[in-house]
Amino acid sequence: MSAFDLTKFYADWQIILPECFLFVWALFVLTLATLGKKDEPGRSGTFALWTILGALITAVWVGVTADGAAFGGTFVFDRLAVVFKEVVLGGVILTAISSIGTVGRLEVHRGEYYGLILLSAVGMLLMVSATELLTLYIAIELSTMGLYVLAAYHKGSRRSAEAGLKYVILGGISSAILLYGVAWLYGLTGTTNLAAIKDAVMNIYMSTGGFPPAMTLALIFVLAGFGFKLALAPFHMWAPDVYEGAPTPITAFLSVASKAAALAAFLRVFFVGLESAAMAWTQMIAALAALGMIVGNVTAIVQTNIKRMLAYSSVAQIGYILVGAVARDTWGATAISFYTMAYLFANMGAFICVIAFSERTGSDEIADYNGLAARSPVLAAFFALFLLSLTGIPPTAGFLAKYYVFLAAVNAGYLWLVIVGLLTSVIALYYYATVIRKMYFPSGETASTITVSKSLTLALVISTIGVLFFGVFPGPFVGWIQNAAQMLLAGK
Amino acid sequence: MVSDFAAVAVFLVLGAGFVLFNFLLAKLIRPSAPTPIKLSTYECGESPVGSAWIQFNVRFYLFALIFVIFDVEVVFLFPWAIVYRSLGLFALVEMLIFLAILIFGLFYAWRKGFLRWY
Repeated sequence: MSAFDLTKFYADWQIILPECFLFVWALFVLTLATLGKKDEPGRSGTFALWTILGALITAVWVGVTADGAAFGGTFVFDRLAVVFKEVVLGGVILTAISSIGTVGRLEVHRGEYYGLILLSAVGMLLMVSATELLTLYIAIELSTMGLYVLAAYHKGSRRSAEAGLKYVILGGISSAILLYGVAWLYGLTGTTNLAAIKDAVMNIYMSTGGFPPAMTLALIFVLAGFGFKLALAPFHMWAPDVYEGAPTPITAFLSVASKAAALAAFLRVFFVGLESAAMAWTQMIAALAALGMIVGNVTAIVQTNIKRMLAYSSVAQIGYILVGAVARDTWGATAISFYTMAYLFANMGAFICVIAFSERTGSDEIADYNGLAARSPVLAAFFALFLLSLTGIPPTAGFLAKYYVFLAAVNAGYLWLVIVGLLTSVIALYYYATVIRKMYFPSGETASTITVSKSLTLALVISTIGVLFFGVFPGPFVGWIQNAAQMLLAGK
Repeated sequence: MVSDFAAVAVFLVLGAGFVLFNFLLAKLIRPSAPTPIKLSTYECGESPVGSAWIQFNVRFYLFALIFVIFDVEVVFLFPWAIVYRSLGLFALVEMLIFLAILIFGLFYAWRKGFLRWY
């Protein structure tokens, strides 16, 4: 290394500022956890909330002031990064707010709870910005390490321990598979940088007129690795058990923030890095999306536990999101980003309702939601709204999200996939509506009234605003993410 | 590109073959006269006590983890030390921050009482 350019280094650090900010304060929250005589949940929770808000503002600020690549092109802060960083941080904020009650009931390690959430969020933010496969891998590891521990946070509970163990083992296997795929890609192209991979793959195609079998192998491994992280069928088998056993705020965090980050990485890897190999992966993704929609929705019907039902429903939701991936153009990327945003608020909101319900009743069984409308009209109304948004009923954001995704697929000539999507949406309507029917038209006696705590009400109101706002006024936001998608595909 | 990796494969095959060949050769030419004492597990000259398959204290893992973190840290310190002269003050500050983060981990383990053996 010859002349050392200090200004270049400052520029690099400026681009990674939101992550640095979050990381420093995550360590601070962990320090608080060690210094106090007794674990005080309120203090670390308040600090965590301010930290996330600060990171949100920093991310917007960096998005406005700095733009471009850092650390030798391994890390980028572009428009897409802004969109997904806000989604991830939105998910983290809602998780932190809805965790307050859960943390209060913990007996040990209260302070570390928020520290681990923040560290995991750092990993997710890095994931959103990584433009090099090994950086991406390390970011994925950083985000899941915290989640492994958080999934097993109810120390005495067998289910929680099972969730943690399953998650760590299957997470480890999926990371290994992803890494193996990355190794194959490196073997084929001689690089791990996504922009360079794009050119190298194009060269392979140009010189041989096709792809070697190793390319298919690499695609399958990378797709399987992502499939595990996204809980995409047929790689979803860990999801129901982990979702059921983990503390509910963590389930929400897992199903929303970590998936949003993985989707951003998915867009970068498949829409940019492997774009020239699109003809090799489009069919695979179409098949997986169809499988996800069918398996997720059909299995969700027979669930009796609300968390398991939402787990299968989120398997189906990932299927819908990936319908947008067959389009491979600006519209596809826009539809995926918009769906992620709608999914953030609807799914987060649904899980917050589950938290609010189990906080008062201690139950996650669908049968116990019988007559919720009489016990707590507000909670029932919120829950119904989120379930309708997950189904895709106007005027919620879920409707527009599904519309954009299907539109992108029709334009790309995948009519059959859209038909599968529409048919499975009807199945989805059935099991979501079953819960709504139970809440509003109870059979038999209903129990006492349920009150919702202040923090959970706040989280519910934020989610509702999100669901309705993006459903009614999507215009400016869609324009914004469309711009981000264009810049991503143009390679800027 | 592929031929570069072929060298690795050849090295692997030759390396494994060399070891196997020597073991085989030794087995063919050495005398074999086993006694119970020769066949017993070597344990620093002590006579072995019980099975090695016992449940041991989980604290070993914590110590091992903390050790590994500081072990791996050196991997980053060596290249840094080599180019330190051309990097200057900024690199020193960066490395101090990195070390501070690692030391925080030790501090955390210490404060939480993981270093006490009881």
